[in-house]
Amino acid sequence: MSSRVLPVFDLLLPSNLEEAVGLLSQHGDQAAVMAGGTDLLVGMKVGMSPAFILSLADIQGLDYVAFDAKHGLRIGAMATLSQVVDSKVVNDKYHALWYSAFTNGTPQTRNAGTVVGNILRASPAGDCCCAALAHGGSVLLQGPAGKREVDLDEFWLDYRKTARKPDEVAVELKLKAPEHGYGSGFAALTRSYQDLAKINAAARVIMDGKVCRKVRLAMGAVAPITLRLKEAEKVLTGQEVTDQLLEQMAAAVRKEVKPIDDVRSTAEYRREVAGVLAKRVVQDAIKSVAGPCPYSCFMGA
Amino acid sequence: MKKRSISLTVNGTVHDLEVPVHRTLLQVLREDLDQVETKYGCGTGECGACTVLVDGEKAILGCLTLAASMDGKSITTVAGLEKDGQLHPVQEAFIEEHAIQCGYCTPGMVCKSVSILAKNPKPSEEEIRHNLEGNICRCTGYVKIVQAVQRASERI
Repeated sequence: MSSRVLPVFDLLLPSNLEEAVGLLSQHGDQAAVMAGGTDLLVGMKVGMSPAFILSLADIQGLDYVAFDAKHGLRIGAMATLSQVVDSKVVNDKYHALWYSAFTNGTPQTRNAGTVVGNILRASPAGDCCCAALAHGGSVLLQGPAGKREVDLDEFWLDYRKTARKPDEVAVELKLKAPEHGYGSGFAALTRSYQDLAKINAAARVIMDGKVCRKVRLAMGAVAPITLRLKEAEKVLTGQEVTDQLLEQMAAAVRKEVKPIDDVRSTAEYRREVAGVLAKRVVQDAIKSVAGPCPYSCFMGA
Repeated sequence: MKKRSISLTVNGTVHDLEVPVHRTLLQVLREDLDQVETKYGCGTGECGACTVLVDGEKAILGCLTLAASMDGKSITTVAGLEKDGQLHPVQEAFIEEHAIQCGYCTPGMVCKSVSILAKNPKPSEEEIRHNLEGNICRCTGYVKIVQAVQRASERI
């Protein structure tokens, strides 16, 4: 049919998490963990060749999107991007994550691909990575010694490297509960809709009237991992948000990013547009505090 | 495991198969079951030519699905949309609107259109276009395809 066929591998299909951890303890160094497969299988058609694939497909009960006001949002390892897009609570309360899922890939890949898979892929251009980092939260990992949580701020170590050990399964993504005055926004620049981002940005604000009480600003494809822009956050924190302040923040963003030239864009362009995109997502986040999701016009699509 | 025994229903017919785990659903459909109506385009999940429906009306990509993970599932290809000799309203609308030129994208395009209307029977043009983003057509320029989905939506 074509040269784009999968190499031979051994499929591991555990039926529960304990079994999965046991199999990873044996084969972890040579195994790739698969949820939806929309990224891993493409990688394997163009060169990757793990000896084992451990598929989470037969483990029941990992496809949840659950929210409570105290603990926040929990997204299970097998919850697809489509489930997140269809979730009213994500659309209502986690606008940045919702929009990053809505614009991710194509309808077909969203039906198979997962949010947790996007986080674990650890691409600096990952749209859900960027949105999740702005919201703030953690990844729940299960290994031979039990469960542990790793803060998203410490989860990505380097390009395609995470804090997950080879014998651990990422079970869920947790995002913090919204506080009063909570809002968020996400934006990505791509050549076409389904393309990978040449740059993306997300902001989460907690506003007190016009004053920004707290902010988290994340940006992707401007460094080997998705970045928190802490200097830019300092410019906004505790201040009344004005056009002038947003310009100062944009200047801080341009100093803080470390983009490179690659196939999708140039470092020079990324640095310039980083400031523009940061302003845009902060403005979207502030808008979303007051009312409906700034992207609600897309609902029902 | 290197092979897995699966029971796969395709357009209403149950097949008991032993599939090598590295074979995709698309390979099994086309090469093992001789159901070549579903097309191979890019092989990497970008063009949508291999779109089929799983368990009713959820559109997935045959080229990025391991056949071994499809045990117990029911697949509908474009050839399974016809009922009692009657084409599906989406198929009829594609013909009436001349939404087909070379026809290579059509099986995937029709399957995806069926899934759009199953979820939202009256989509706006913007919603149709957003939901057809994963299906590439190099002939038509999409206008007639969008019109076909709109025409079908009036009949569903």
